[in-house]
Amino acid sequence: MARLAMLIDTSQCVACRGCQVACKQWNDRQGWLYSRTRNRGSYENPPDLSPHTWTRIKFTEYEGPDGFRWLFLKEGCMHCGDPACVAVCPTGALKQHPRGLVTYERELCNGCGYCAQFCPFHIPRLEVVNPLTGEAKSSKCTFCQDRVTNGLLPACVKTCPARALDFGDRDEMIAKGQARVEALKARGYTQANLYGVDQVGGLGRLYVLIAPPEAYGLPAKPEYPALVSVWQKVVQPLGGAAIGATILGILGAFFLARRNIRMEEVK
Amino acid sequence: MIVQIKGKPEFIQIQWVPRYTTMERVVHWFHTATFTLLAITGMMLFFPFLQPLAQGQAGITFRLIHRVAAVIFGLVPIIYLIIQPRRFLMHIKEFLPKKEDIGWLKAVPAYYLMGKHEAMPPQGRFNAGEKLNGLITIIAWLVFGITGLPMWFGKGVIPPELFRWLVIFHDLAMIVSVSMFLVHFYLAVAHPLMWGALVNMRFGVTSVEYLAEHHTKWFYGPKRAMEIWEAKKRESVH
Repeated sequence: MARLAMLIDTSQCVACRGCQVACKQWNDRQGWLYSRTRNRGSYENPPDLSPHTWTRIKFTEYEGPDGFRWLFLKEGCMHCGDPACVAVCPTGALKQHPRGLVTYERELCNGCGYCAQFCPFHIPRLEVVNPLTGEAKSSKCTFCQDRVTNGLLPACVKTCPARALDFGDRDEMIAKGQARVEALKARGYTQANLYGVDQVGGLGRLYVLIAPPEAYGLPAKPEYPALVSVWQKVVQPLGGAAIGATILGILGAFFLARRNIRMEEVK
Repeated sequence: MIVQIKGKPEFIQIQWVPRYTTMERVVHWFHTATFTLLAITGMMLFFPFLQPLAQGQAGITFRLIHRVAAVIFGLVPIIYLIIQPRRFLMHIKEFLPKKEDIGWLKAVPAYYLMGKHEAMPPQGRFNAGEKLNGLITIIAWLVFGITGLPMWFGKGVIPPELFRWLVIFHDLAMIVSVSMFLVHFYLAVAHPLMWGALVNMRFGVTSVEYLAEHHTKWFYGPKRAMEIWEAKKRESVH
């Protein structure tokens, strides 16, 4: 089955934050738990993603070649083609759906937090119940798995009044995004670019940007953490082999020693 | 102490000699208990085949056990250092490798597998293997602490790049120390020549016979021990 992807056209976004509200409503996320609304000198609100804010509009004040402007970025899980979080998750709570969604099963999560520490985009957030005991649950956007697998659009896409969001077959989204970038360039947005086509195995979240990714705070070259491979492909098999070989060696040594050392001789 | 072995008519006399202090034994057994708990609960996040144990509420409970055990595991040696600092430092010094320990290493197959008593050079209160075990235990304790504490309290404070390295080193320390623990466990519990090892650590005393055989250098002193060993080697040639 073909991969699904979300196309986010930041040039269309008016930062109404309808997506934030729709996301919380559909996914039953609390509004105020991690971020009481207060004046922080910006229209941006809340100030960061949280276990209860799976998506939000990030406001960046940008001094570009055409003067000052605001950049709006809809943050959230990138649904990587090579999801590091899925590789490191020891419980299987995080999985990759055949259609490319990186899904999350809350009941399986034990709160270890590896996903948050190994994500190249710093997306999953821990809902910490008690920092001392470590009781916690991870939390992140699931692309509205329940809606999408039943033929509906994700809640944020459905609600977007500016039509800045689109969702569907990934190849189609890439084609649309590329066409939009060309159109923007023709209109004078010389820095327009499409982000996410081939980073980290190809992202499930494609951005039409009107400034370089760094201006939005996106990593220009996000990388699948090398230590994930070191851990999973080297240390883990090495550990199994070392401990297994030790057990086998001990068994062999035991039988050899028992044959050679008669108990009567032993004082 | 005079004892009679079950099913045998004669009585034998055992002379007991102290080998470990009470403190050493308490530290040893607290370390054993917490290490075992830590290894089992920690491996659940490491080996994919243990995944079912890591899931959901069970995983949360095991992570809690890991932390409770970690506190005891971490504090016991520190308490030892506070109560008996000189003894503690003497202990570390005792574990440091010496040139003569190579002799033990060379004798390992002949002695532990073939049971050739004369192959083993005389050993002190700790033989070179026990010393190696002690040294690695101390190093692993340090590595577990240095990597584990930031993973517990540093989430969101330390950079993720550092956290990833901490996970790797915590795992490596686990692989080394668990492998060594298994060998240590085998020698203490199952190896026919080491019949006294477990008794020593349980009761703190050992028999004169066991000492003379296994810790000759400590029992007779280095000079006399070498003489005995040379005699033993000569005897085995004939």
